[in-house]
Amino acid sequence: MIMKIGNKEKILYLLVDKKIKPTKFMDIYRQNRGNMNKTFEHFLKYENLKLNLEEGKRNNDNTEISMHKGDRYEYFKIIDFVFKNKVDLLCIGDDGYPDILKQVYSPPLLLFFKGNKIKEMEFGIAIVGSRKCTAYGREAAGYISGNLSEMGITVVSGLAVGIDSYAHKAALEGKGGTIGVLGCGIDIVYPPENKLLYDEIALNGSIITEFFPKTPPLKSNFPVRNRIISGLCRGVIVIEAGEKSGAVITCEMALKQDREVFAVPGNIFSPASRGCHKLIKSGAKLVERIDDILEEFSQYQENLRLCSNYDHKDHMKPHARQDTGIQGNEARIYEFIGYRAKSVEEIVKYSKMEVKEVLGILASLEIKQLIREDSFNKYSRLF
Amino acid sequence: MFFKLDSFTLVGINAIRVSVEVHLSRGLPEFIIVGLPGKAVNESRQRVRSAVINSGFDFPVKKIIVNLSPADIKKDGSFYDLPIALAILAASGQIKCDISGGSCFVGELSLDGKINPVKGLISMAEEAQKLDKKFFLVPYEIASQASFISGMDIVACKHLSEAVEAFTCRESIGKFICRDKIENISNRSNHYDFDFSDVKGQLKAKRAMEIAVSGRHNIMLIGPPGSGKTMLARRAVTIMPDLNLEECIEVTKVYSLYEKYVNRLIHERPFRNPHHTISRAGLIGGGINPRPGEISLAHKGLLFLDEFSQFPKNFIEDLRQPLENKEVIITRSHLSYSFPCNFMLIMATNPCYCGYFGDESRKCTCSQREIQKFWKKMSGPVMDRIDMRVNVARLPERSFINTETSENSNKIKKRIEKCLRIQNDRFKGKNISYNSEVGIKIINEWLKNDKKIRDLIYTISGKYNLTARGTVSILKVSRTIADLEESGIIGENHIIEAINYRVGYGCNPGNNF
Repeated sequence: MIMKIGNKEKILYLLVDKKIKPTKFMDIYRQNRGNMNKTFEHFLKYENLKLNLEEGKRNNDNTEISMHKGDRYEYFKIIDFVFKNKVDLLCIGDDGYPDILKQVYSPPLLLFFKGNKIKEMEFGIAIVGSRKCTAYGREAAGYISGNLSEMGITVVSGLAVGIDSYAHKAALEGKGGTIGVLGCGIDIVYPPENKLLYDEIALNGSIITEFFPKTPPLKSNFPVRNRIISGLCRGVIVIEAGEKSGAVITCEMALKQDREVFAVPGNIFSPASRGCHKLIKSGAKLVERIDDILEEFSQYQENLRLCSNYDHKDHMKPHARQDTGIQGNEARIYEFIGYRAKSVEEIVKYSKMEVKEVLGILASLEIKQLIREDSFNKYSRLF
Repeated sequence: MFFKLDSFTLVGINAIRVSVEVHLSRGLPEFIIVGLPGKAVNESRQRVRSAVINSGFDFPVKKIIVNLSPADIKKDGSFYDLPIALAILAASGQIKCDISGGSCFVGELSLDGKINPVKGLISMAEEAQKLDKKFFLVPYEIASQASFISGMDIVACKHLSEAVEAFTCRESIGKFICRDKIENISNRSNHYDFDFSDVKGQLKAKRAMEIAVSGRHNIMLIGPPGSGKTMLARRAVTIMPDLNLEECIEVTKVYSLYEKYVNRLIHERPFRNPHHTISRAGLIGGGINPRPGEISLAHKGLLFLDEFSQFPKNFIEDLRQPLENKEVIITRSHLSYSFPCNFMLIMATNPCYCGYFGDESRKCTCSQREIQKFWKKMSGPVMDRIDMRVNVARLPERSFINTETSENSNKIKKRIEKCLRIQNDRFKGKNISYNSEVGIKIINEWLKNDKKIRDLIYTISGKYNLTARGTVSILKVSRTIADLEESGIIGENHIIEAINYRVGYGCNPGNNF
């Protein structure tokens, strides 16, 4: 196999070699106005860079590499991995490398990816949030993500459990699609319970990472990853975040990168929404409806033209359910159950009915999707 | 010089007759027991010798051979002290038997001649009744255990000399006969120190308990620490209907195998609450000489497995077969033993490792993976046999001092008794007796003519993603709810209520994500 040596291979070699820092590379790259050839010439001339990229010895069956030592070995291992596992590479000068990502201070020079969404993405919004979300967060993530995707906006998130996975799941169904940014090597599915979701996104969306294959999901990788999540997007929406949460870090990153920050408010009693409320207090935009997000991006009408014929008013779920069509005791109990959870005991006391009747009514309201069990034996209204 | 008496040995829960044969012959003084005696039987030689001497008789200086027939069954235990002593005295001509043919004997001797209790007395009494015996000589302390077996006299003796008196003189036997059975069995009242009305709040869980007991549905209580799971389970016995005489005898049979000093007929519903460090033989039954385990001790009553998730996984698998068959068969190379275990299962567990999943005021610190791991331990097949799963939430502090009175156990018990009667009528002639035992065939018959109900079931199973077993459970529970209301057919409201006890926030937290 004779491999064409292009920019990707050169950059991969630089990253493996580690002699030149990515930020240094970006400086020179920017000085040369994005011309890759000139950038490399500069390094070869002034920085004593040697690119030993010619093929080493290979076995007859064209698979094994031998006789490579040190960095060169590492380099060929990765090239081999990429070749074998149908993983693609995207480097900073390539067509399809998102322009918006180039604008951040230290963009990833090289991305490993699966699925082509990353190249086609026109307009991205990130949805981030707690891994331990409540039922409310789940629903909010699904609602916002689904609607954004339906409008042709790509939803970017981190493929973690909780809010991330609900956002991904909902976005997969729309035409905007979704991109998952990993904090580990592309061959590692972390957390493992997201395997199915990972496969589906790799097929219909995009999985990207800047980490080399087989990198474990180290704690320190995630803030690094978060900069790509916010970097890929025009705005970041936080749905449920604890006080000290990764989502809040992503928002700080987003502000440095000059991105919009949105936060979805929660129940004032819920510890899961503390971070969101903190963000709102310090100036993040409160999101109640999809319009709240779109307003901020009126200057990007051009990018959003895809959704011009999309009447999102129809999708305003919470406001379309005014007429519930329930009567009698059901309606009475439904009225009593507020947006703050009420326990079965409270409901029985209020309604002066027998427990069995109350339980029946609660179950039938649940089947009609009007209420939901929030915590043990406590119900609250959905709409 | 030969003499023969009847006694018993235990095989599992049942007794079989053993003849104690004594032959005195000339020769060097010797005392031999044959017929596969165990350690305790062999040692009875020393006890018998001392007891005989200390009761004022002579121990014959002869070659004594005792045979326990049938000779090919292993015998263990101290049942034979009294019959051996009496047989030796009779064979040596010191006393003359007056009641021999229609009587049988069991008892352990103390060195001074006192008669000590033995295990399994009531099973032996039952066997004696079958053999048409007239008198059964038993240790005084536990005589009332067996006194409810009708058709023969239980002769209770404190001492070997009393036993000799009864043995030799038919007229004097009257003063030893145990007369406990004259007390009317229906007079006994079950008194518990606790009552269902002690439980404040927890309306859903209480209602669920009532339904579970009514239809004998196995139930799982899920809730954070301190939410009252144990309290609820403990009180479930107070709403179970009283045992009838037959059931009392069955329960006493199991308990008399387990401990010696059962000095009465047990008439409360058993409530067993084994700790999760229990061994396998302790739970299911077993040992070299198999003994009943906790599941058999819970026969006709409640088995409560607290902290269900802490029990080793294979123990939980072991419960599968007994749950289906209502008996457990323990096989050893020489014999198979069967113990009854018709119990209702209540399980309690926290919803996750830290225990606070789904709690309102305290945040759960478990990750999703931990919660899934926690629930993975619960075996699918066992979970399938649990018809009802109920959340028990912690109460806010103020409700403990709530003065509202709720229904007491007796009131609930009356409803349940009525419900059980309906079920008995329905299943007459079939070999099932509770709603929880019905199969899919009978359920389909119930729903044959009701299209509306069938549609509702399709909606529900679609919405909640129920398995076939889950749907069947809901239907069984709704049948019980209908029975509680004395309704002949299952209505929509019954099914909708039953949903509450199968799906819900904590009913399977592992799948909640």
